[in-house]
Amino acid sequence: MPVPILKQGQILIASIQAALTDHDLIQLKDELADQVGRFRSRGVIIDVTALDVLDSFATRTLRGIAATAQLRGAQTVVVGIQPDVAIAIVQLGLTLQGVATALDLEEGLQLLRRPPNRNRTS
Amino acid sequence: MSEPSVSLPFRVTEFAPSNIERRLEFVNLGPEDRARITIIKPDVVDHLDEHVSAFFDHLVKFEESRGLMSRRDFIDTARRLKREHLIAMVGGNYSHDYIDQRFRLGQIYSRASLEVSLFMGAFHALMASIGRRVMHRFPKDPLAGFEHFLSLKKVAFFDIAIIADAMMADREQTIRQQQEAIRELSTPTLQVRERLLVLPIIGLLDTQRARQLTEGLLQAVRAHRARVVVMDITGVATVDSKVANHLIQTVEAAALMGATVVITGVSANVAQSLVTLGVDLGRITTLCDLQSGLEEAERILGYRVMRADPPIEAV
Repeated sequence: MPVPILKQGQILIASIQAALTDHDLIQLKDELADQVGRFRSRGVIIDVTALDVLDSFATRTLRGIAATAQLRGAQTVVVGIQPDVAIAIVQLGLTLQGVATALDLEEGLQLLRRPPNRNRTS
Repeated sequence: MSEPSVSLPFRVTEFAPSNIERRLEFVNLGPEDRARITIIKPDVVDHLDEHVSAFFDHLVKFEESRGLMSRRDFIDTARRLKREHLIAMVGGNYSHDYIDQRFRLGQIYSRASLEVSLFMGAFHALMASIGRRVMHRFPKDPLAGFEHFLSLKKVAFFDIAIIADAMMADREQTIRQQQEAIRELSTPTLQVRERLLVLPIIGLLDTQRARQLTEGLLQAVRAHRARVVVMDITGVATVDSKVANHLIQTVEAAALMGATVVITGVSANVAQSLVTLGVDLGRITTLCDLQSGLEEAERILGYRVMRADPPIEAV
């Protein structure tokens, strides 16, 4: 099932609704890379609230999306990681380095609205 | 008659047939023993009440049996099970069901807080009662009587082992529940300002607790929409590389949910031992005491705390 991408001003919001196949993830990555340039977006938010699994491929793809968007001038925030998912990611030794994370959509939007030099990605 | 109102969480799943065989080998119960037990069967079955009374009369003599004796439902069930026990004991079929019954009886004693030592005494009184009946059967040949009684005694010891196991299993279960309760109690999450949580950790941090802690913290982050969490480890006695690893994992998991974790209460000793161990906590903000942690958290959240001058009167 493809992921719908909504445009909200200068921000793109990809809201994942159901479990994703690897193919869906790659498609999401391609589309975001394309749309960031087309809409001259400043930020990308990926909402993973609905996911109860984030495997190594998914985390790698998210890092890839963030790096790609960065190159085209947009910052990526992953929002809505569930507690269990967070624990699993950490215990499996996966990382989301270079990707900003926030509690939910609202927080993510707030993070992107702040001046670029003050984000907490580091 | 209904069962006493105790839940029996333990079913006897661990007694596989091979285990039962092994237990019978332990007491050295052979075919000749089974044959002897068949011979003396009437001595037990025909005098059931006498033997069961020997057991309970012995118990009544002692103050310590109050827990069992004061509960009508316990005692009725225990008496009934004891009768069934004696019939089964000379029945020769020491199967899974037999063990299951012994185990249940053991649990009832345990729930009634009957001491193992007192139980042993009562069990001996029971065996003595049976022993006298057996000896009456062999008035001319006491040695044969003794041999027959010994065969039955093997089954008795087989039973005692199971009942003791049941009583111990029950105690271990209680201990586990209490540990669980202590764990639950010892990790509260406190909200001190909007979006700022404090998590004081006291006691030992093992793998299981660290996991619970992480889960609890993440749930709290979501529930309170926390942005900063101050984790105070003043009460953690020892911080070794394992504990440090747990802390790192907790911090990273919280970061995935958009919360920054500040660890406070790193004493001079702890800091030195971490450096000696070569643990890298570079990615984590650590501070010496709770106060600096709160100040740091307020800075992150954009609070500025000022003293009112003159002091504001309490309303």
